[in-house]
Parts: sequence; structure tokens; C-alpha cells
Amino acid sequence: MGAAPSELPDFASKRNPALFDPVALAPEPDRAQVVGEVSGAAQALGIHPGMRVGEALARCPGLLLVPPDPERAARAWEAVLGALEGIGAAVEPAAPGEAYFDAAALRRMYGGNVEGVLARARRAVPAPSRWGVAASRFCAYAAARAARPGRGAKAVPPGAERTFLAPLPVTLLPAPLGAELAPALERLGIRALGELARLDASDLADRFGRQGLRARELAHGRDTALRPRIPGERLSEEIELPEAGSGLQLLRALELLIDRLLARPERRGRALRALRLGARFVERGTWRRDVPLRQAHSSRERLRLALLPRLDELPAPIERLSLTVVAYGPPVADQLSFQRPDEQERRNRLAEALRQTRAAAGTESVLRVLEVEPDSRVPERRAFLTPFGE
Amino acid sequence: MSRRLYRPRPATVQTGVDGTPVRVGRAQVESLREEWRVEDRWWTARPVRRRYFELTLASGANVVVFCDLGSGRWYSQTGG
Repeated sequence: MGAAPSELPDFASKRNPALFDPVALAPEPDRAQVVGEVSGAAQALGIHPGMRVGEALARCPGLLLVPPDPERAARAWEAVLGALEGIGAAVEPAAPGEAYFDAAALRRMYGGNVEGVLARARRAVPAPSRWGVAASRFCAYAAARAARPGRGAKAVPPGAERTFLAPLPVTLLPAPLGAELAPALERLGIRALGELARLDASDLADRFGRQGLRARELAHGRDTALRPRIPGERLSEEIELPEAGSGLQLLRALELLIDRLLARPERRGRALRALRLGARFVERGTWRRDVPLRQAHSSRERLRLALLPRLDELPAPIERLSLTVVAYGPPVADQLSFQRPDEQERRNRLAEALRQTRAAAGTESVLRVLEVEPDSRVPERRAFLTPFGE
Repeated sequence: MSRRLYRPRPATVQTGVDGTPVRVGRAQVESLREEWRVEDRWWTARPVRRRYFELTLASGANVVVFCDLGSGRWYSQTGG
């Protein structure tokens, strides 16, 4: 298994030559007002990703806030994934800037060893990148973090995963474990993955439940199987708006994009399950929104109804609008897998379904009944409806 | 955001001479299945004093209504 956590394309040095200055990625207009990636100089001044903009500016009044360019970042990242798939790799994209593939499966094509595969992959990926090789996804990620950009890959020999991970901090655990579990572990004095791996599974299950067991598995260098994406499935249409677009003009442009997308022969009659609206502002910067559909369909009117409200979220006039298919409905001929998916995969699928439901129907669309006084004689004291956790 | 289940909803209830419901909204009460009282939280400033009735309406529906003995108002409630 190989990992390629490349530098985030938002911060590609071609765009921002002054990375020796304190620079941070500004938040999008209607999102949480926190800074994104930060340059080394900004980091040295105590600014870190996720810090509130006000606090960051208070710490460093000269901080340069760079408007985010999610459209360009997504295109650059897609180019990286496409380049890896171009050499035959079955790639599983994780967070932006992080992807995994089974390097061993390509050995026979590139010199009979993993080094040959990596050399070919590095030539294919033009962006500065860091590479790690290990038997599990999490271990490969940790190895890639330890590698230096532009240098050779960091490889963890088979069987040495636990030893390699042992001194690394628990904050390295992937989301959501890193954010939810690591602070609690640190409060208990468990700071390194090695200390976590030494804990008894039943103790961890008692204190942290499923998340604790999953973190322990990762600390032991064990992970779930790769789930590569199906390449070559992206379908996109875009339209340039000669004058700053808003209002009715925008609506007509959206209808035109829907018609064009539905008419593309590559769709092969499949229904659409998720779409992405993108835009480039007249002034500067880009915008995009993922629009999952409650049901996969290809009705022009229903697509219009699903996408139209998102146009109201545009904070400024735009000069280009794009519409991309993110996921298709299942083709009729699809068959289910012979293998029963493992527990973690089932949980991932359930979490994805929850995310899509919330995105389509609001944050309060999935709730659970929490019994607080089940034996109370006053019925309204017995139970609450609370948000269903991830 | 959390919210309570089984919250009481205001109901329009007509009662007979003995104080038992004869009509809930527009529906005639067919039979009185059960009656009970709840006296709770009497040690607080907001005690709960209710007279509950489980009724079968002419339509065949089962409903639970109660009279708040503090305010005299009627409510319907599920989960009783």
C-alpha cells in the first residue's frame, strides 16, 4: 500500500511566491470564520489551521489572508489522482491532498519491486509530494508525513508497523478519531501510539467504545482494506457568463448546464446521485457546493429544483458556472459483492448515508430517542430527541 | 438541538357533570377505558398535578387526555 499526501494545491507555490511571509488561507464567506492552511512563517507565530480569523489577526497583524480557490484546488487534486490512475493504480482518495493505492499490485509492470512503482508514480505526479510505503493505510500516512517533500519515500518494513508508529503522537490518528479521542487520551497521559497499543482492548472498549478499539487497531498497524474509486467517471459542463451573472441570467445558465449534462452520451442513461456546483467570482476566488440528491434521478425539473436553492448561497456575482456529476445511481446490471463488507466499512457507509441525508434535509433530519427518565410518571420527562452522532 | 418527546398538546375537551370527558375536539367519547392521577414534583415551585383519562372515541381511536389541576386546562398526550 502506498500513500501520497501531496502539498495542498490551494497553496501551490506558483500562485503564492511569498510563502516565507506569514500567510493563511482565508475562510469561505458563508463557512466558519477560521483560517485554513498556514505557511511556515505563520505557524512560527503561533497561528494554526482552524484558528479563528480574529485571533489569528490579533497574533499577527501583518498576516496575509489568501482567498480560497476550492475549484482550482479540486481540479489540481483531480489531476494528481488522474495521473496515478494513468499508471494503472487503483486509487482511494482520502482527505484533499491524501490518496492511497496498492503499490504491490503494480510491481510486475514497473521493474518487479515497489521502488520501481514509486519511481514511476513520482514521475507521473507533477506536484511536490511526500510518499510513504507500509502495509496499512494509517501507517503509510504516518510514513509519508515523516518523508521529506521531493525526496525518496519512507518505507516501513512488513511487521515493523507497530514499532514505527509507537513514538508518534495520538493526535496523528485520522478524523474523527484524532479530534475526538486524542484530547481524552492525552488527558489520561496516553500521548504516544505505542502507549495506546499497549492498552488492553477491553479497557479501551469500556472507556471509549468502538472508537477506542478502532484507534487501538490503527496503533497496532492494522487497517481496513482499500476501497479504490472507479476512475474515468467524471462528467462536467461549464458556461462562461460574459457579464457578471446573477438572478434570472444565472437561473437560465443553470438550466442550460443541466440540459447539456443530461445530453452527454457518456452518461449512458444513468441517473445522477450527487452533483457539484462550481463558480468563479468576477472579483477573485471560486466557490463550490456538493449537492447530494435524495434519490438518484435524471429528471431535468427535479435537478433544477435541487440545484436552484444553492445559487442563492452565492455571495457575489460570478463569471463562470460549472456543473459536475460526482456520483451516479447504480446501473441496473450492477451486482452486489460476494464478500460481506466488514464492520468498519458498514459503519463508513452508514456515516456517509447520514451525511448525505443531513446535507439534503438539514442537520435535524436524523435524530435518536434518548431515554432520560424512562420510568417517570410524567410522559414528557421520559425521552428526548437528540442529534444522531456520526 | 434536543427536544422532548411526548410533549402535551392543548386539546378542546367538553366534560360531563362528574368532570369526565364527553367530547374531545369534535369527536364523541364512546367509552372511558381508564382514569388515573399524577401528583409529582410537589416539593418544587412547579408541581405536576394531572387527572388523566384514556378514552375510546366514536371513530374507534384511542386517546389520552389530561386536565392540569393547577390551571384547569386540557391537553392530549401520547406515550401515557
